[in-house]
Amino acid sequence: MNHPLEPGLKSLAEAGLGSIALTVNGRPALLNCAPPTRLAHALRDELGLTGTKIGCDAGDCGACTVLLDGKQVCSCITAVAQCAGREVTTIEGLAQDGKLNRLQQAFLKYGAAQCGICTPGMLMAASDLLAGNAAPTQAEVEDALGGVLCRCTGYQKIVESVLAVAHDDLTLEPPTAGRAVGSRLARLDGVSKLTGAEKYGADEYPAGALWLRVVRSPHARAGFTLGDLDAFRRKYPQIEGFITAADVPENSFCVFPVPKDQPVLADGHVRFRGEAVLGLLGERDAIIAIPEAEMPITWQPRHALTEPEEALTATGDLIHDFAPENVLCRGRVVKGDVQAAFPMAAHVVEENFRTSYVEHAYIEPEAGYAEVVSQGGQERLRLFVCTQTPYMDKEEVARVLKLPHDRVRVVPSAIGGGFGGKLDISVQPLLAVAAWKLKRPVRIVYTRPESMASTPKRHPSRIRVRLGCDKEGKLTAMDFAGDFNTGAYASWGSTVANRVPIHASGPYALPNVRALTRAVYTNNAIAGAFRGFGVPQACIATETLMDELAEKCGIDALEFRYRNAIRAGDATACGQVLQASAGLDQCLDALRPAWAGAKEASAAFNGQAIRSGSRKRRGAGLACMWYGIGNTVIANPSTMTIGLRASGRVVLYNGAQEIGQGTYTIMPQIAADALGVPVSLIDQVHSDTDLTEDAGKSSASRQTFVSGNAAKFAAEDLRRQLLQLAGTAADATLRLEGTALIAGTSRIDLQGLTPINERGDLALGSGYFNPPTVPLDADGQGVPYATFAFAAQLAEVEVDLDYGTVKVLHIHAAHDVGRAVNPTQVEGQIHGGIAQGLGLALMEEYISGKTDNLHDYLIPTVGDMPRITTYLIEDAEPLGPYGAKGVGEPALVPTAPAIYSAIRAATGVRVRLAPATPDRLKAALKAHEAGQRL
Amino acid sequence: MKPAPFRYAAAQSLEHALALKAEAGEEARFLAGGQSLIPAMNFRLAQPAMLIDLNPLDDLDYITVDNGALRIGARTRYSRVEHCAEVARWQPLLAEVLPNIAHPQIRNRGTLCGNLSNADPASELPAVMLAAGARMHAHSAGGDRWIAAADFFINLFETALQPDEMLVEIELPALPARSGTCFIEVARRPGDYAMAGVAASLTLDANGRCGSASIALCNAGPTPMAAAAAAQLLIGGVLDAEAIAAAAAQAQEEVEPNGNVHCTADYQRHLAGVLTRRALTSAAARARQGTSA
Ligand SMILES: Cc1cc2nc3c(=O)[nH]c(=O)nc-3n(C[C@H](O)[C@H](O)[C@H](O)COP(=O)(O)OP(=O)(O)OC[C@H]3O[C@@H](n4cnc5c(N)ncnc54)[C@H](O)[C@@H]3O)c2cc1C
Ligand code: FES
Ligand code: FES
Repeated sequence: MNHPLEPGLKSLAEAGLGSIALTVNGRPALLNCAPPTRLAHALRDELGLTGTKIGCDAGDCGACTVLLDGKQVCSCITAVAQCAGREVTTIEGLAQDGKLNRLQQAFLKYGAAQCGICTPGMLMAASDLLAGNAAPTQAEVEDALGGVLCRCTGYQKIVESVLAVAHDDLTLEPPTAGRAVGSRLARLDGVSKLTGAEKYGADEYPAGALWLRVVRSPHARAGFTLGDLDAFRRKYPQIEGFITAADVPENSFCVFPVPKDQPVLADGHVRFRGEAVLGLLGERDAIIAIPEAEMPITWQPRHALTEPEEALTATGDLIHDFAPENVLCRGRVVKGDVQAAFPMAAHVVEENFRTSYVEHAYIEPEAGYAEVVSQGGQERLRLFVCTQTPYMDKEEVARVLKLPHDRVRVVPSAIGGGFGGKLDISVQPLLAVAAWKLKRPVRIVYTRPESMASTPKRHPSRIRVRLGCDKEGKLTAMDFAGDFNTGAYASWGSTVANRVPIHASGPYALPNVRALTRAVYTNNAIAGAFRGFGVPQACIATETLMDELAEKCGIDALEFRYRNAIRAGDATACGQVLQASAGLDQCLDALRPAWAGAKEASAAFNGQAIRSGSRKRRGAGLACMWYGIGNTVIANPSTMTIGLRASGRVVLYNGAQEIGQGTYTIMPQIAADALGVPVSLIDQVHSDTDLTEDAGKSSASRQTFVSGNAAKFAAEDLRRQLLQLAGTAADATLRLEGTALIAGTSRIDLQGLTPINERGDLALGSGYFNPPTVPLDADGQGVPYATFAFAAQLAEVEVDLDYGTVKVLHIHAAHDVGRAVNPTQVEGQIHGGIAQGLGLALMEEYISGKTDNLHDYLIPTVGDMPRITTYLIEDAEPLGPYGAKGVGEPALVPTAPAIYSAIRAATGVRVRLAPATPDRLKAALKAHEAGQRL
Repeated sequence: MKPAPFRYAAAQSLEHALALKAEAGEEARFLAGGQSLIPAMNFRLAQPAMLIDLNPLDDLDYITVDNGALRIGARTRYSRVEHCAEVARWQPLLAEVLPNIAHPQIRNRGTLCGNLSNADPASELPAVMLAAGARMHAHSAGGDRWIAAADFFINLFETALQPDEMLVEIELPALPARSGTCFIEVARRPGDYAMAGVAASLTLDANGRCGSASIALCNAGPTPMAAAAAAQLLIGGVLDAEAIAAAAAQAQEEVEPNGNVHCTADYQRHLAGVLTRRALTSAAARARQGTSA
């Protein structure tokens, strides 16, 4: 690195050059970097301490928190010069002699780390607190952790863990054979997340890897021409290569087979702000230093169609030639006769709703590297990347490079949060094209604004619903129409358009339904997959109207839902008769005491508030949901294999991508019980397209149900083979003792057996599961999902009538998960889903170019979260592994409408635009007080 | 992201820092806590040619109390002030505002003088300086001068400091007897910049009437906004609900909010009124109780 010398300064030391001496984790360290280098970068790049994470580089997320002389600081905005002679402690410095400290143990025991990307920051912030205050209060913990964002956990288990350090017994009792399913087994990948050893997308790269800088469009819609790249390179000789559209063998991709509408690098025309147009390669700092204004690109901006209303009516002005009226896809479910039913209804309500773009805001921006490796005389591309879907990545990258699939290997990094965002293609083809062209390893880490501008979001929606019931309060008809802004490219837009109409009726028995949707192209940010695929947006609309109808009928909101709850034996709007495991009524039953208590408490509070002249009001509200597990009709099989080694250990080849949700813990739990051995005997080979079988995507809440079955079947298959080998009955017990297999009365020395493959497996069990579905006809009639999850949530809120602010006090969440394979993880999913639901309800709104950072794009902090009480309902699903279904997406679906319901109970204001920001709510309160409708 | 290349000098003394600044002028920036400057540099929103690091200046890390008047040096970080019992005792307004500024990490690094030199009208601290009647002590290689808070904040991110000047300390005058102060704000999340915030300071005269009053608002215009006419309305009167409501209504007229991604200007103006009413009500109660906070 070059450091221009300050003329007139006397010594090197005075100029701040030379090395900086400090203590890191108790050991002296010398940093040979420029004085203003950020501590986070120095720790990671110079000292290899990649446990410290960078989520924003701006002080907003706290992932980079370390201790400086014992005090928590953001290392991304601390210069190394300011650390000279001081003591820095990072996550790598916490465990002593390889033993987790009490704080780390508490995090492990209580499941405080999910994806683990915030964990280093959380641990360091908590360490600062605990050093000065061994037994803090909850409020003190929340203050101390206030600057570290977590997108996965909803913070509750983190706070519990910090509080537990003072008192709790933190030892872990691993489950015995046959008891793994249902146990609170600590994450099997937990220790590496708690010591900083885990390698995320930005944490590993080959020596000499070039940095890829992607130049992106500042315009939402424009034509462009690239200038003279050779001249540009002569001016900036640090550029070691370029990639442009011309370098991409097949310049189109999409998560679906059609339409492959998105270019890897735009070819003369861009359709949204943030679209990639050019890649520069070189040494990182040198390539980043080239000013944006110097890029040799001439733009011809065009009028952008940013909203669906405009895109739908812009006759002849097509964003993609193949999509007339700018409609990507239409969804339709029709049952009974809505037109005939409404005139007969005793009560009818109707309303319009809107929701905004929502960003996933995982704390880990997209990152990874690609390299060309030679194997068996052939060049292959190896991609290390954070992803929810390694197998799809492999196919898409092979397509783009025009290579056979087997020439691409995807090795997923640990993933610092996904939520649907990393179910899409981002850095993968860019890295692949660059590495393939230059035949050198190439790496990238998106900046926070780049990640936010260029990757898909939750679809903004405009929804109109009409809902009717008879005089007994039985629902009779729903008419639902929704437009979803899918942005510039298809991504998962058609999944949203198709999933929403199926779920529109909500978890209720409804004889007449018409649900129509459109996914509409615009020149706005791409919308794709985000926890719930459009169902959360729809649920806001329909659950709000459920409240209104209940009120019209004079029936209690819980009772009204209970009466209409769909039950086993009822037919859905698709005509699918639910066979079993429809536990909504049980969820509602579980909430009855809390519901009565919450209504009473808020009435008492409000009475007191009115008497004392306080402007605070409380309210309680409810919402229910259902959610189809797995893909909508489209096949989504998983395969798992499991082997026994001569060492007496079992190896699960687990391709179910871990994204924080716990598949690297749950799959072994299921396999252990199916095989009949303790889970501690199981080792794993984690998802790697060369080493594991395709277990599909970590999406659609499918892994526990689908891959869980595959794991179970694989383990049963292995058990069968081993019993056969031992010549014992199929129901004999099976044990592994050292290197001996004991089955019934026979004992086999494993060392004496010949492996069946070069990995050393003596026997290999294989399991496959694809959920049974029946394709939908033109009216959406069929069997879209093999099973559904159900939930009801109850929110208690306090509204400040003057400020228009909402404080969520408590959420009670009752979820029918079929079977909680690991209750700690199920609770963790519910807490995290609720946090995201709260964000959707009250704070989150992505506006391209305005909220592309974690300073202005607001996700809940620890101080925004309510207390959460979970109620796990286990109405076993006969098709599921040990009865399990899924919970990942269901957790978030009912939260926003439950909060809105509570706001309405508190104030009388009906929220029709998400998020309900203070200014919007205040305006609505004013209008409501004036007797107007806003 | 890495910042653009630039020169860096660690100040060895106040004189050294001032000499370097005199030489480099606008080209150079002081680096205090870095909690505004470094994020701006990380994203190339600031690209100073030279940084003069004030962190080695341990002798500027102080809080002194003299008969209730408080002086705070340029290297004094928020967290030290936040946890200082003397500050809570003599300048409760300052103690009350600090937990509202960002998060512990930021407060462990950021300095009050850095914040004030940055002159972000969205920040809570400049408004508190106005309400407290603080003075800023500026030094240059050529000498030093005091600048009243009311004259210090010129415009958005612009202060009265000359290119060769450094803000070396701030002074908050002693709070008279029978005073009460209050800071409140409404932010989107705990620790965020406020959508609007109000600092109020009231002193009762011997008859229990309002002897002096000051009100200042943050995120309500291009600088921290003093609601001088609103304060004037209170002076000489009884601090009852009616007088406070009238002052709050007046304060609403005095602000010039612009709106931002977090809220509309209308809402900010509305908050200015509500917050002024609430802040004055608490400050008056505190003054009456003689607790000041
Ligand atoms: C995530 C985050 C959240 C934040 N939230 C808030 C908030 O809610 N409220 C709030 O008020 N602030 C907030 N801040 C900003 C924070 O308060 C900064 O610390 C403060 O504004 C700057 O102080 P500093 O010492 O870090 O100054 P620096 O960043 O070092 O400097 C700021 C500017 O002042 C100049 N300067 C510094 N010291 C002097 C001096 N002595 N004389 C002359 N010029 C000087 C510098 O050259 C620079 O231009 C936040 C910051 C972050 C990163
Ligand atoms: S990376 Fe430092 S705060 Fe986000
Ligand atoms: S566990 Fe906190 S961000 Fe994933």
